[in-house]
Amino acid sequence: MPPEPSVTVHVPHPLRKYCRGATRFAIAAETVERALDVLEGEHEALYRNLCDETGALRRHLNVFINADNIRDLDGIDTTLKPGDDVTIVPAVSGG
Amino acid sequence: MADRVILTIGTRKGLFVAEGAGPRRRFVLRGPFGPGVPVYATLIDARGAPRIYASSCSPFFGMKLLRSNDLGRSFRETKSAPAFPKDDGRALANIWSLEAGPRRRELLCGVEPASLFRSRNGGNSWEMVPGISNHEHARQWQPGGGGLCLHTIVRDGQRWHLAISTGGHYLSEDGGETFRPSNAGVGAGFAPDPYPEFGQCVHKIARHDDAPGRLYMQNHGGWTEWSGPGGPRPDIGVLRSDDYGRTWNSIARGLPSDFGFPIVVHPHDADTVYVVPLEPETRTCPGGAPAVWRSENGGASWRRLARGFPRRQSYFTVLRDAMDIDRARTPALYMGTTTGQLWIGRDGGEQWDCLFDSLPPIHNVRVAVI
Repeated sequence: MPPEPSVTVHVPHPLRKYCRGATRFAIAAETVERALDVLEGEHEALYRNLCDETGALRRHLNVFINADNIRDLDGIDTTLKPGDDVTIVPAVSGG
Repeated sequence: MADRVILTIGTRKGLFVAEGAGPRRRFVLRGPFGPGVPVYATLIDARGAPRIYASSCSPFFGMKLLRSNDLGRSFRETKSAPAFPKDDGRALANIWSLEAGPRRRELLCGVEPASLFRSRNGGNSWEMVPGISNHEHARQWQPGGGGLCLHTIVRDGQRWHLAISTGGHYLSEDGGETFRPSNAGVGAGFAPDPYPEFGQCVHKIARHDDAPGRLYMQNHGGWTEWSGPGGPRPDIGVLRSDDYGRTWNSIARGLPSDFGFPIVVHPHDADTVYVVPLEPETRTCPGGAPAVWRSENGGASWRRLARGFPRRQSYFTVLRDAMDIDRARTPALYMGTTTGQLWIGRDGGEQWDCLFDSLPPIHNVRVAVI
């Protein structure tokens, strides 16, 4: 089996304290779902901020692959290519 | 050393802590703590070295629990927050109540969807309490206006009283192992059966150590005009039990409204109880004139306490956990409003003064004299 592609995960400021201050790091994953699995194993505290107990991505978070929101792609089934930027962004809301 | 009066104030935009000296003339405010997200539950655990706990409920990143070991000068997240088992299918939506558990450093936490969690190490790890969380009724409870929440935990030795909106009052007599609904006399206005076995929208329950069999309940009232099946349900909103919560009787007569959220018992007199009646439809102060009502005879009669409050044009709401009373010899009440005011009711509620006027909407107020 070929090695999983290496992608860069970009961490928003409020979550950097859950991954020792890292602004970004590389992981190997071929889909967004697999990337979340890797985060659960390697960065559990960060993962808990991204997904609830059922494994669902939290409702008010957006995940972009390069410039595209995964909601406009295949959701967590979206495939990743080597060199992709995976950016986690809290949804715009306020009040 | 002079007594320190510590107030925790959970708001829609984080946690505040106010500290005053024994006379309670002036309080200094600290905060906001946390990332500016809603705080529905706080606890000042004064057993041993005091600790303060607060929920911190981020709509973005989920639930956290904050802990302070220095009386609210600084807070850090505990190592974990309550979470359902992975195969349960439910996901935590909010933390509604925090209470001290039976042993030191033990905590109990009521959450949404209605379930109970227990920590034995000051909030660093949690286990679900299955007796209520997996109760045969659990999947039949319905959300109230605030969500399906387990918001009240009252412990009396092996007897644990829980209040769920909308599930009603559940009683354990074996230290939280098993629970049964205990709602005889507790009315529901939103169902054809006025007195169901369970499913009531209980808003708050309070008790006093000197009268262990006595409990007071603020239930979801405001059904006097109901004309649907089952007929009108007057006075179901404020209730008392004298048999450890097995049966309940109305004590609402004499109040301007039987709708309200908090109910608080005087620390030195089990017959003295306070409520904040609200208009049932708008859930604001009747006639725009805020008042706390006090009974000194277990609910047989009530007296309006309004000295110091605005006399008109004031339409705030006081939520279920937004009133508390300290344990000083002459106690003061503390009441937070959805308009961000924190009021102190000096001399047992005889005189009200606004301590802080412009906080975010207040969900929760707790006080301890340390």
